[in-house]
Amino acid sequence: MAVGARLLIGLLIDGISSGLILAMLGLGITLVFGLGGVLNLSLGVFSIIGILLAIEVYDVVPSLVVAAVVAFAVTGAVGLVIDRSLLSLVYKSEGDERTLVGIFATLGLAFLLEGALIIRYPDVYSVHADFDPFQPLGIFIRGSSVAAIAVALAVFAALYLFFNRTFVGQATRTVMQDEIGATLCGINTRRLRTLVFVLSAMVAAIAGILYSFTGEVGIASSFSLTINAVIVSVVGGVTSISGTVVAGLILGIITTYASAFVGAYFSAISLFAVAIVVLLVRPGQIAS
Amino acid sequence: MNWDRLKIPVAVVFLALLPVVFFEEGASYISRIFTIFLMFAALALALDIAFGQTDQLLLFTGGIVGIGTYAAVTAASSLGVSLWATILIGGLFAGVVGAVVCYVAARRQLNVIVISILTIALQLAMIQTFNALRDITGGNTGMEVPALTAEFITSTFGWEPLTFLYYLFLLLFTILMVVHWYITHSKYGLAFDMIRQDQVSAASTGVAVVRYKALAGFVTTFFMGLVGPLYVQIGGYATPGMFQFATVDVLVLIILVVGGMRTIYGPIVGSALIIYVNEALQAAQEYRTMVFGALLIVLFLYFRNGIVRYVRNEVVDRFDLGDRVPT
Repeated sequence: MAVGARLLIGLLIDGISSGLILAMLGLGITLVFGLGGVLNLSLGVFSIIGILLAIEVYDVVPSLVVAAVVAFAVTGAVGLVIDRSLLSLVYKSEGDERTLVGIFATLGLAFLLEGALIIRYPDVYSVHADFDPFQPLGIFIRGSSVAAIAVALAVFAALYLFFNRTFVGQATRTVMQDEIGATLCGINTRRLRTLVFVLSAMVAAIAGILYSFTGEVGIASSFSLTINAVIVSVVGGVTSISGTVVAGLILGIITTYASAFVGAYFSAISLFAVAIVVLLVRPGQIAS
Repeated sequence: MNWDRLKIPVAVVFLALLPVVFFEEGASYISRIFTIFLMFAALALALDIAFGQTDQLLLFTGGIVGIGTYAAVTAASSLGVSLWATILIGGLFAGVVGAVVCYVAARRQLNVIVISILTIALQLAMIQTFNALRDITGGNTGMEVPALTAEFITSTFGWEPLTFLYYLFLLLFTILMVVHWYITHSKYGLAFDMIRQDQVSAASTGVAVVRYKALAGFVTTFFMGLVGPLYVQIGGYATPGMFQFATVDVLVLIILVVGGMRTIYGPIVGSALIIYVNEALQAAQEYRTMVFGALLIVLFLYFRNGIVRYVRNEVVDRFDLGDRVPT
């Protein structure tokens, strides 16, 4: 195989791994927006909280699995507190007004949490993961990329089973499609919103930990994580779960190739450019 | 006596007296804060025309200020003229960008949420572009900008550079107040009110919704573009980081909302309060972000109408001073 082809395949695998991470983040936006009309601009902070928790736990118990599970659970608990307090206030308003209040309340929350975290964690951090790279057929494949792909696929499989095979999951999708109809069927919308917000926080924590395998992350990165999540969600159609996953994959692959061949700035610009084009060409779903 | 007409002169006199009272020779720290206060008041009042009047939540103030700055500075250096001559070019350039964005958004009938996401994405793309265009912007490290000076004025009044800059901002702010007043007291204000309240009914009674929204976008971003070259005078240099969302937009939004949208005094009151809080927190720098986050939450949950409206409703209306006090 030619060197060029090997490089392209290696990059493709990196792209898929970063795409799946993006898809997880995008899903965090999609689920909460689809269910409650709140655009959660603090999502990236939950990723950071997950990473920091994993690092703290890893110091005590040097096992990546234990660290990740504890981080996963505690981030969910933080999500629960936020949902019960801040989001309860946001849900008091209705319709377009709720979306607007939601944007600013979660933006404020992001600053509040970032400000609180940066006092204790002013540096950049990454979760220690010693995955050996391997080279089948001379293709350089990062161990961390494969691990990220495996974990992400497991998460998506679990979410798929949840949304398609369990009563609560199906009830959640019902609310996304028709809130009034679901309420008339006796579904407790507020409870499901809590559940989904906690779920989105936990998925964001996993995405954050996987993301930090390949690069160091500081508190300040949380805003760009959030924006990437919003972009993936918007490109995927905002309320479509499968659309978000596909959008994440496509954007992950595009940005990986763009940053390898053109440069990091262009990679970021290409991500925004795709989002802007999609918003202009088909704004229908988010506008309704 | 029409008290409404006195609003702008009163504000101008008040703002013009601030340097006389507070500025001291050699104390550039104080004059710097007052200059920043006036700049943010101007940005908030500019944003009010698009956001307050026509409900277009433009979240790319920083990027637009950057475009105005770089357009003016680049035009000045490539034409070999003084920065004075190209400030308007910067404003026009920024205004055209804003008008195009608002025109396209209105044509595509994007609602307020989509516009906000669209402009955040544009803002981030702009900052990355500033970072990438090293030849024009100096990249990450930034560049020095030519100074805006007028020797004959500063020497006549005995002003320090920052005092001169303050009055420059006051001139810009005064023009902006007049434009804002004209817009809200003319057929434009009527059209903006209709568009904000019910876009479909506005269109069906013959209001050219797309044109008015694009116009509001132009006015807002034109003035933001004019602020640019003045903004970078404060430090004498420009880096892409100075135009970031977290540096500019967040403050402008809080100021506009805390002061009160659709009022002329709102941005002044809001900016005074927020810049004061910001400075008071300098001592506790590490808690600054936290406090602003909490402030943003509380403001939007409980205090969306702003101080000026609150005073108007609670104090003025309660005691029903009627014609005696401007409302």
